[in-house]
Amino acid sequence: MGNEAIARGALEAGICFASAYPGTPSTEIVESLASVAKEAGIYVEWSTNEKVAFEAAYAAAISYVRSLVAMKHVGVNVAADILMSSGYAGTNAGFIIVSADDPGQHSSQNEQDNRWYGMLSHIPVVEPSSPRDAYKLVKEAYRLSEKYKQPIIFRSTTRISHTRQPVLLEEDVPAEKKCRGKFERTIERWVLVPAHGRKQKRRMMNVWKQIREEEGHPPFITVFNPGRRKVIIADGIAYAHVAEALELMGKTNEYTVVKVNLPVPLPYKPIVETLQDAKHVLIVEELDPVVEMQVKQVMYENGLAPDLHGKDFVPENGELDLDTVYRSIALFEGREPVAPWEPMKPLDLTPKIPPRPPVMCPGCPHRNTFYIVKVAANKARSKNPIFTGDIGCYTLGYQKPFYTQMTSFEMGGSIGVAHGLSKVVDEPVIAVIGDSTFYHAGIPGSINIIYNKGKSIVLVLDNFYTAMTGHQPHPGTGKTAMGEETYRVPIEKILETIGFETYVINPMNVKESINKVAEAFEKYKEGKPVAIVSRMKCALQAIRDARHKGIKLPVYTILQDKCTGCMVCVNLLGCPAIIVPKGAKKPVILSELCAGCGLCAQVCPFNAIVLKEKGSPNWIEAWF
Amino acid sequence: MPKRYNIVVAGVGGQGLLTLGRVLGNAAIEAGIDVSIAETHGLSQRGGSLIVQIRLGEGESPMIPRGAADLLIGLEALETARQIIYANKETRIVMNKFIWPPPLEIYPDLDQIIEKIKGRKLRLYVIDANKISEEIVGSIISANMAILGYSYAVDPGLQERLEYKHLVKGLERVFRGKVLELNKKVLATAYDLGRKQVEK
Repeated sequence: MGNEAIARGALEAGICFASAYPGTPSTEIVESLASVAKEAGIYVEWSTNEKVAFEAAYAAAISYVRSLVAMKHVGVNVAADILMSSGYAGTNAGFIIVSADDPGQHSSQNEQDNRWYGMLSHIPVVEPSSPRDAYKLVKEAYRLSEKYKQPIIFRSTTRISHTRQPVLLEEDVPAEKKCRGKFERTIERWVLVPAHGRKQKRRMMNVWKQIREEEGHPPFITVFNPGRRKVIIADGIAYAHVAEALELMGKTNEYTVVKVNLPVPLPYKPIVETLQDAKHVLIVEELDPVVEMQVKQVMYENGLAPDLHGKDFVPENGELDLDTVYRSIALFEGREPVAPWEPMKPLDLTPKIPPRPPVMCPGCPHRNTFYIVKVAANKARSKNPIFTGDIGCYTLGYQKPFYTQMTSFEMGGSIGVAHGLSKVVDEPVIAVIGDSTFYHAGIPGSINIIYNKGKSIVLVLDNFYTAMTGHQPHPGTGKTAMGEETYRVPIEKILETIGFETYVINPMNVKESINKVAEAFEKYKEGKPVAIVSRMKCALQAIRDARHKGIKLPVYTILQDKCTGCMVCVNLLGCPAIIVPKGAKKPVILSELCAGCGLCAQVCPFNAIVLKEKGSPNWIEAWF
Repeated sequence: MPKRYNIVVAGVGGQGLLTLGRVLGNAAIEAGIDVSIAETHGLSQRGGSLIVQIRLGEGESPMIPRGAADLLIGLEALETARQIIYANKETRIVMNKFIWPPPLEIYPDLDQIIEKIKGRKLRLYVIDANKISEEIVGSIISANMAILGYSYAVDPGLQERLEYKHLVKGLERVFRGKVLELNKKVLATAYDLGRKQVEK
């Protein structure tokens, strides 16, 4: 996998420190480093957020210990503050910031192009064209970082991070690594008071200029078939699509292709040389015209004026693929953009194939919590509560039947947005946030509610893990990234200390929890600051733990003679394990999917849902 | 058209698509041919539509153009139907006889899907992979390996590039111990079933 290739490259480059906050598509970089940390003799951590992760890894690098920090594209926003300063102060050992961007928004709230961060911070951006390329380029990026004493942004995208490819390893992981650093008190670098910052800016601009002038060679810029009249400049993964599209068209020899793996700042010499011979130029890059803008600048500076195209033919939104790039080149050539393959038309089915957005898993504790909170709000006559939401599996609560996420912007946003709303609306406002997200960015917002006398409830869904990205541990799990037992930081203690009256519920006990939450709503109506922590393990992890420990989970079934077909279980819970077979009037439980949480049995008004298979006597242990 | 052999695996997040991709990828490495596998992770994996794109042969672009699949493996009927756009007239389609509708939605039924695909004169193979897995493992967890064994048996394109022993080696790189033995059995059982289907 591309992410594993990045991790391996970094290990070969001699890193001894790595940190991250998990986020798709970046997660496996530090996950794979964590899995070999002890063997490789390096330190690896899951930090509480990207800013903290950045600070930790950067501190190692200014102390002469090579390091890596990884995050998804929107995570860089969280770390932007220290990122900007690190460009000024520079580094002493190789330091790579991996930004895993997500063109096409497979699993993100936006598709921002983080090459701009390189422009903004004067930090060079290295961008691979494939997982194999990533493996080699990470090592080159470390060399570049040390040559110029400057951090490097290593930009990957989903189709690099999550593509698997055989990668031939070139080197061993060095046995001798520099893991103990030394901090030099070079005050004018690390203390960015105005006088020092001004001086550092001159250093930084000099580095920028030098890279633009001197790094225009492989592996950063590679020119294939020089001297042709037609030129394609292709950055990152776009190069892979371009190479195959030209081959499909039988036009590989007609074009000079410039493969760009250092898009920011773009080294200009090879561009000038290529454009001097060129008549027609197409720039193919994913998302924003970052390379195009720079090429136009180079053209102006050098009095070159070939016919140049880019974003007029290549989409600026969404990820590129072979189809899109093939069409773009065909348009550039002035041909009908017809591909050599004829796609099958969709099947005309009635009814149509329904969309299948991601859903909460069978047994997901958030399903129980959402049900409990909605029923309790009714019970306490809290009308039309507004639920602000956050980033994680529970964002899926925006769907029917729950509608318990009405906003979702960024990590920790649920709480800040709830606070603002609660100041301007009359309805009850409930901020819904996951455990990992709470540690990440929820605590400052929670403090703000108390300090500024806010009126929103904080509801923390604690399922023990950073579940969406693959069950990484966090401060509430009791384990470190490297698998060591550690302190647990209970969320309810934090909330109590801040000043909330905190209710902890076990969402498996539905009735008891409804009563507790209704009580919380009453307190809220009296004007007390209230928080709720709902705690039960992620179903995927509970099932996995049960399998490992030989625990058998219960399985439920619907008694067809007792079931009246009222559909309460279907309509209130939306559990994927409960389906209504075609033409049937009563639902059934797919026993192979049932995780045994028993919510449906507690909800059924006719006691028609019963145990089909009992769990082991200790089955509940798997869930807590 | 240069020959990268394109395999689209469609299904629902959680059905073991990524594992199927990894086994095929490892098999390709065993066979000494280049391969790339594009996956989707994170939110998109939580019971949502999922496709894994496997390309055998040299080249770096990881994504299969619509209409360019040589083999379409569908672990669920609705998802197979949804991804039919990756198929062309020559594509072999292997579909699990399993329909798992998304909650609270109305949907076309299995027979209709089969009928419509056949109506397009496509090469459709239907296999009850869940059943094979259940009979051998006791749950549907290995349905992915069942459909892989069957697909291999009915797809000459795949056989041209990989030997059966490469698939087994591919399995060995992913699983260990008892799980490995059970999955080998699932693979072999489904493979035999596929061979018989072809001989018919």
